[in-house]
Amino acid sequence: MAGLNDEAQWIVMMGFVVSFSFFFLAMVLNQSTVVGQTTAEGVLEFPKNDIRDVRSVIIQSVPLSDQAVLQTDIETIALSRKGAVVNYTQPTLTDEHWHISIHYNNGVTAYNETWTSS
Amino acid sequence: MVNDDGQLYTIEGVAAGMIMLFTVYIVLGATSVYTPGDTHISDMQLEQVGTDALRMMNTQVNGSAGTSPLQDIINNSGVSGFNGPEFNTTFLNYVNNKTGSETDNLHYNATVTYYDIFNTTTGSLPLASNRNLTGGEHPVRVTEWVIVDKKFPGTNVMQNRAVLVEVLLWRD
Repeated sequence: MAGLNDEAQWIVMMGFVVSFSFFFLAMVLNQSTVVGQTTAEGVLEFPKNDIRDVRSVIIQSVPLSDQAVLQTDIETIALSRKGAVVNYTQPTLTDEHWHISIHYNNGVTAYNETWTSS
Repeated sequence: MVNDDGQLYTIEGVAAGMIMLFTVYIVLGATSVYTPGDTHISDMQLEQVGTDALRMMNTQVNGSAGTSPLQDIINNSGVSGFNGPEFNTTFLNYVNNKTGSETDNLHYNATVTYYDIFNTTTGSLPLASNRNLTGGEHPVRVTEWVIVDKKFPGTNVMQNRAVLVEVLLWRD
């Protein structure tokens, strides 16, 4: 490259810097649209409300009569309408506390808990 | 002999062209089209609003003892059927309230699912709705478990039963 004019190298370099910064900004913008969607998909997929709800109804049923009927209702409806396998043990009294083993599995998320009354 | 002047200009020109092409490609990729099948974000928000409304209705008014408004609606003083108008008023009041005087425009269709002991199947009874489903909506389903002391099809006795309140909720 004999006789090449090497003036204005600063301008050429700034040109590159500005171009690359536009490039990376565009990349960040591109990713930002996907972030909200994947987060929302994750929230919809994870059955947080279902687990809290079924757990709550099982605990509510402890002091009530007709325990066996309630258990059949909960397990059958959870399977047929929510697509989730739910089963739990009848409350047992140990050391003056009630204990229930709760199992929840909807094929994607499994949740197991041993609930203890206060 | 090839003229070797201006090689830097040539390289710069090629580099700038490639950068511009990449930038255009990525900027165009950023403008995604919002199709009806791609409504995860609004679905998630709608589902949370509905779940929260049902949970509020299934919370005892004084916080501890007694029955919740939703239990009272399903129980309906022990007579057959549910107190649909009461559900309609309370639920729409909860989900359509917004800051300011304008209300939101959510519609719903609610049913109660019970287990039929005699036929060993699950059945659904209509609870309330403020709009008929036409098939063009894009609803989300929200549910809430309720325990009521009531007689459901398949038995002849009043006993504690767990039923699932299912609500299809949509905005238009």
